[in-house]
Amino acid sequence: MGINKNNSESLEKYHKIFIEQTPTAIAMLDNNMVYLAISQRWLKDYKLEEQEVIGRSHYDVFPEIGDDWKEHHKKCLQGAVDTCDEAPFQRADGSLQWIYWDVRPWYTTNGEVGGLLMHTGDITHQKEKDLEKKRIEEILEKTNEIARIGTWDLNLITNEVYWSEMVREIHEVSEDFIPTMEASKNFYEETESRDRFVNTVRDSMLKGTPFDLELEIITAKGKSNWVRVVGQPEILEGKCTRLFGIIQDINKIIQSEKALSKAHSELQGIFNSKAIAIITADKNGFINRFNQGAEEILGYSATELVGSKRPDVFLVKEEIAEFRKNLVQSFNKDPSLIDPVEYLKSHDLNNTREWTYRRKNGDTFPVLTTLSSLKNDKGENEGFIAVATDISKLKKVENELLKKNQLLNFAEELSMIGHWQWNTVLDKVEWSQNLYTLVELDEEFVDLKFDTYFSFVHPEDKEIVTHYFDKAVKNKEFYSFTHRIVTTSGKTKTIQLLGEVITNKKGEVIEMIGTGQDVTEIKMAERKFRGLLESAPDAMVIVNEKGKIQLINKQSEKLFGYTPEELFEKSVEVLIPEKLYPSHTSHRKNFSHTPKAREMGSGKELYGVNKIGKKIPIQISLSPLHTEEGLLVSAAIRDITKQKLAESKLIEAKENLEHIAQKLSKQNKQLADFTHITSHNLRAPVANLNSLMELYNMSESEPERIDLLDKFETVIQHLTLTLNTLIEALKTKITDTSEGLENVDLNDVLKSTNEILSGVILKSGAIVKGDFSNVSTITYNKVYMESIFLNLVGNAIKYKSEARAPEIFITSEVENGKIILKFKDNGLGIDLERHRHKLFGLNKVFHRHHDAKGVGLFLTKTQIEVMGGFISASSKVDVGTTFTINFN
Amino acid sequence: MSNLLKTCIVDDDLIYRFTMVKTLESIKLPMDIMVFSDGEKAINFMLDNLDNEPEYPDVIFLDIDMPVMDGFQFMEEFIKIKPRIGKSITIYMVSSSIDPVDIERANNISAISDYIIKPIGLVRLKEIMENLLDERK
Repeated sequence: MGINKNNSESLEKYHKIFIEQTPTAIAMLDNNMVYLAISQRWLKDYKLEEQEVIGRSHYDVFPEIGDDWKEHHKKCLQGAVDTCDEAPFQRADGSLQWIYWDVRPWYTTNGEVGGLLMHTGDITHQKEKDLEKKRIEEILEKTNEIARIGTWDLNLITNEVYWSEMVREIHEVSEDFIPTMEASKNFYEETESRDRFVNTVRDSMLKGTPFDLELEIITAKGKSNWVRVVGQPEILEGKCTRLFGIIQDINKIIQSEKALSKAHSELQGIFNSKAIAIITADKNGFINRFNQGAEEILGYSATELVGSKRPDVFLVKEEIAEFRKNLVQSFNKDPSLIDPVEYLKSHDLNNTREWTYRRKNGDTFPVLTTLSSLKNDKGENEGFIAVATDISKLKKVENELLKKNQLLNFAEELSMIGHWQWNTVLDKVEWSQNLYTLVELDEEFVDLKFDTYFSFVHPEDKEIVTHYFDKAVKNKEFYSFTHRIVTTSGKTKTIQLLGEVITNKKGEVIEMIGTGQDVTEIKMAERKFRGLLESAPDAMVIVNEKGKIQLINKQSEKLFGYTPEELFEKSVEVLIPEKLYPSHTSHRKNFSHTPKAREMGSGKELYGVNKIGKKIPIQISLSPLHTEEGLLVSAAIRDITKQKLAESKLIEAKENLEHIAQKLSKQNKQLADFTHITSHNLRAPVANLNSLMELYNMSESEPERIDLLDKFETVIQHLTLTLNTLIEALKTKITDTSEGLENVDLNDVLKSTNEILSGVILKSGAIVKGDFSNVSTITYNKVYMESIFLNLVGNAIKYKSEARAPEIFITSEVENGKIILKFKDNGLGIDLERHRHKLFGLNKVFHRHHDAKGVGLFLTKTQIEVMGGFISASSKVDVGTTFTINFN
Repeated sequence: MSNLLKTCIVDDDLIYRFTMVKTLESIKLPMDIMVFSDGEKAINFMLDNLDNEPEYPDVIFLDIDMPVMDGFQFMEEFIKIKPRIGKSITIYMVSSSIDPVDIERANNISAISDYIIKPIGLVRLKEIMENLLDERK
């Protein structure tokens, strides 16, 4: 150590003070790296102010110092100098400190290394600034590159122009292009941009104002490019010395802006479309957009759903489940191991399918929906967008088509019809499904030709088929025909072919289309029908709609005497009597108009005519037969000659019976009349006789007895009169009416009547007139006729009105071939309401006339009836009476 | 009320009327006999005396077979005015007819008490009249 200890001690002390107070960070350490002295700055730099550092090892104070630095320190202790401009110092507390240092040894007076002197500086702050600047520059550079911004500089003193690389790129010039003021100007599009550029630059230079323009340039390669030019003038002593700035390629921006704006408006258009529903959901599944189209289609308003509802309000649960299942399957994942919702967060979704949406009102309808994921700028799924169109109409049409197709298939199957299409030019044939079924050919067999079908034709029918198809080609018209085929399984079927020939404009056959129907059963049915026809007990005639005979059975042959050949296609009228033709023709037309089974000519007598012209009474039932040839009418005809005969016999018998019954009832009536007569007219006097007898026995005096005997006489006289009348009536009844018939002249009878009644006629002043101009003579019993006249004329006078002289008018006439005699008077009249039933009874009187005995009309009636006639009366009280006699 | 039994005979037969009156008189019961020769005369009497009921007969012997208005026709008219008559009138239909048609027809008219076949006979007539008098007591 020091020779002069005090001196050296004080020196050391000075050193320490010097070090302590040095404004930079300095530390003095001994050979063991123990601090001898440190500057305040050091303590501050390393945040050691709170610690006692002197006397401690440097490595204790900075435990973070690594071995590399320790190695440097060792070298320095051996005499080396270690300097560093900047180095990061990772501090134990985790902070990074940028420092520079100068570490060198200090020497003792005897020239030995006494330790180390460390001089450091904290440049962390500066370093950070540097780094930041560098970062900013880097960013700027990158941004320029990305934003396609280049820098330029125009020195107006030297007229030198500087273009950065990007400027060159924007102008599409080579690297060795030397830009000039003039050249720069000439890049601008000449009509507009150049003038604006030149003027703006001039102004800027004059006024010192910066500028910012969007201009169009034409690049060296001739492309139009939009650029943004920003310039800043530098003014020195009132004079513009420099102009610098940037130029940005905005072509892409403009273009993409344009595209974006277009896309945006398109999107807006789509979004606002009423026909398309656009619905988006956030990643939690909540609806966040619901366009007008969606409102329109689903009936919800956006406000009802957005932010609060998930799409399942209008989806069908089952379809969601199905969709999830399908989705997972499409990822080729085991559905049980994966949650599709989670999976979709990190995977793209783009799925188009049909969904069923449910309207607010509950209706469901089909939609076609494209579902895609929405991504944010980081590529993460933000949610989904669904674009849906209502396809109910489409669906309906599709379904209808499907249904119609099914229906057609079904119809073909039912009717055993198949259809075919034959391109005759290319010999390409298409069959419907059912045609395959008919020939029992597998549907896989698609290479169909005409010969395919022809190969199925029954060997014996090949000629027919060829004939008909040749004819179709020749006449350009397809004639329906039937033939047999043999199916792949060997079954024989009868097929009826119908078709249509299609020609081109030149009239050449290019196609035939048609149907083939399995009519095997129909043919069988026809045979069965034929058998049935023959076994029918009636004659059967089958007639077509035009009234031509198509078929007759054996019974018809027998009935009409024609052979089937003679009648085929003959009008059915040949079997009908000539005079019935016209009405039959119209009836026949009526029947084909409303065909239903019925009796023909009900209520009328029908006749048929056989071959030899004989009329046959017949009975006909008609029934319609709907066949492939159209409406046929089957007539079942029954010969009713025998019935007719029996019928007329029956009618005859009935008439006889009626006659007998009439006679009997007449006799009954007469019998009843007789009972009445005996009851009243005979029993009454007998009863009187009995009563008188009783009184006679009781009588006590002679005058009484004489009086009674007087009465007896009256009764006996009455009884005698009655009995005489009866005998006369009975005599009339048992008289042979054919006896005593003669031609009675009515005028003669009236004359003799007048003579007989002349007394009363004279007395009453009666006028009796007769008009027998219609009928003057009747073949009759003359006595009866005289009696009839006498009784009726006599009655008319007897019952005359007191108010007027009697007028009696007698006329004869013929009614319905019968002679009628009328006696009309103007007498008292009879109340027929009361007395009709006993008008002609015996002893019936209707007037309190002293001479009324009730005998005349009784006898008159008896006489008329016995001759087969009858008498009736019409009368009005106090006007007169008319008696009408109908002679038989 | 009079204690005389008002008895009415309606018949066109003079002899019958004579025997009836004679027989009734022989019974010697308190009675008052009136006679009509047909139904119309009888019904006219009743119509004329609608407000004088005491004049109405207590019993009517009615014949069937009469001119102008017979017994059945009388009954038709009588039934028409019957609701207006307070007095109970016994009617016997008396006829020589043994025709079942007549008997049946009479039996079907409830206003007719009985059908009597002529001649009535003293014994039967007496019995009827006595019964009627008894009922009135």
